Amino acid sequence: METSRMLPPITRITKYTIIDEVRHKSFVIMFVFCAICVFLVRGCSQGNYMVNGQYLDAGTVVRTLSKVTFHVIGAGVMVIAALLSMRIFRRDRNEGMQSCILSKPIARWQYVMGKITGLWALSVLFMFILHGIVFLITSIDLKVFMPAYLVASLLCSVNLLFVVVTMLFLSLLMSDIVAFLCVLGVGVVGFVADGIAAASHSQIAAMFMQQSGSQANSSLSWWKIVYFLWPKLLGVQQLAASLFEGESFNGLGRIYPLINIVLYCLIFGALLFRRFRSEDIV
Amino acid sequence: MIELTNVTKQYQSLTAVDNVSFSVRNGECFALLGPNGAGKTTIVKMLLDFTRPTSGSLSLNGLPSTDAECRRSIGYLAENHHIPSTLSGWHYLLRCAELLDMGKSDAIDECRRIVELIGMQGREHAQTGTYSKGMIQRFGLGAALMGDPKLLILDEPTSGLDPIGIREIRQLLESLKCRGMTIFLNSHLLSEVEKICDTAAIISNGKLLVKDAISAIVKDGETLEDVFIRLVRG
Repeated sequence: METSRMLPPITRITKYTIIDEVRHKSFVIMFVFCAICVFLVRGCSQGNYMVNGQYLDAGTVVRTLSKVTFHVIGAGVMVIAALLSMRIFRRDRNEGMQSCILSKPIARWQYVMGKITGLWALSVLFMFILHGIVFLITSIDLKVFMPAYLVASLLCSVNLLFVVVTMLFLSLLMSDIVAFLCVLGVGVVGFVADGIAAASHSQIAAMFMQQSGSQANSSLSWWKIVYFLWPKLLGVQQLAASLFEGESFNGLGRIYPLINIVLYCLIFGALLFRRFRSEDIV
Repeated sequence: MIELTNVTKQYQSLTAVDNVSFSVRNGECFALLGPNGAGKTTIVKMLLDFTRPTSGSLSLNGLPSTDAECRRSIGYLAENHHIPSTLSGWHYLLRCAELLDMGKSDAIDECRRIVELIGMQGREHAQTGTYSKGMIQRFGLGAALMGDPKLLILDEPTSGLDPIGIREIRQLLESLKCRGMTIFLNSHLLSEVEKICDTAAIISNGKLLVKDAISAIVKDGETLEDVFIRLVRG
């Protein structure tokens, strides 16, 4: 089939997916609530902070706060993307839209692709607006200009694609709430594991290990393999944050989380298309 | 137009459709009849590729049913039709028109034509929640007629309609039949089928019992209902 004939159904389903989500009151309430929370964070940057007896300068406070807000928004929108994706197939099925769309000359993969791109675009826009609010506050109000902040936000969209694709795939295999908890579990375990790994590489941890006489075990163990292969959601966020923190690029190891998540997107995407192809349409 | 060859569909140990073969010609008004659970809706779902047969093959307009292109000139009305609660009847029709690759202005013109055809002028912009079941069914039929399809597949089209609505649907189907549209009808209303359709197939427990012209199935002094009961009860 020609590409020009394949694309319109996907773009139309993408458009309908976005419109249907935005029309729901719960989505609007969620967005307004998140935007208000981000605005409230502005007040935190106007206080005086003392570390080791020294006051932090305004620039450092704003940068640190922007970084924390960046990660919180990134993680929060991942949860929201999972909530949006968890009921999409069920709702389409119950409201008759799935059979309506698929009784037209539209292939199943086009329907699924439209759903993925719609949910992804919506959640990326959601996150970009929230990050944009932080960017505007720091630029206009606090006079700290970080254009890379918005680029970093776009880089984090890979995480949202992972959440959308995984959530859609799991919602075909199990109940929506169990699928949501699974995705949430993957994210939480990844964040905690990355946090522990970061802490174990810190100077304090090294000093503690020296004092206690223990040595870092360099042998390959099963948990190291699991940790290495686990979806690196926090890793992608840290990679993105390094863009506006001005850290230098040092080796391929830094982009491993991005490769890791892209590979997971491809694997779960392939499984999703394969599973939906054999799905009975009600 | 429609061709089923040795089609079998099994759900674990249950055989919903058992080695069924028949064909429907262009311009024919065909009724698929059978008691509840006979396998009628399963056949419709296989025709639309909503579910795949365990064995056998189905084709529409000479293309295998798995090819999305074969659905380009098909209108479909599902049993227990629904419209999303966030859409009005008009927006639902507009969406269906756009899914058929119609441009914005063509889609609007087509929706106006359809709204008039189904007799829903003045109610098309109301929210779906305010519609009765019969009105939803009319919009569903309207969506099926969108783009002037060559083949119309209707699964219980009169479900939820009052006697006046049933009569209107029958008259509409008769006019579509006169225009040469092929109609594939799943219905329990045997008296209506007898009035509209040329040919019929009766299935029970997934097995095809008979497929012929209605005039050949119904003997003198009998009604289609008598034949149906006689065949189904064995």
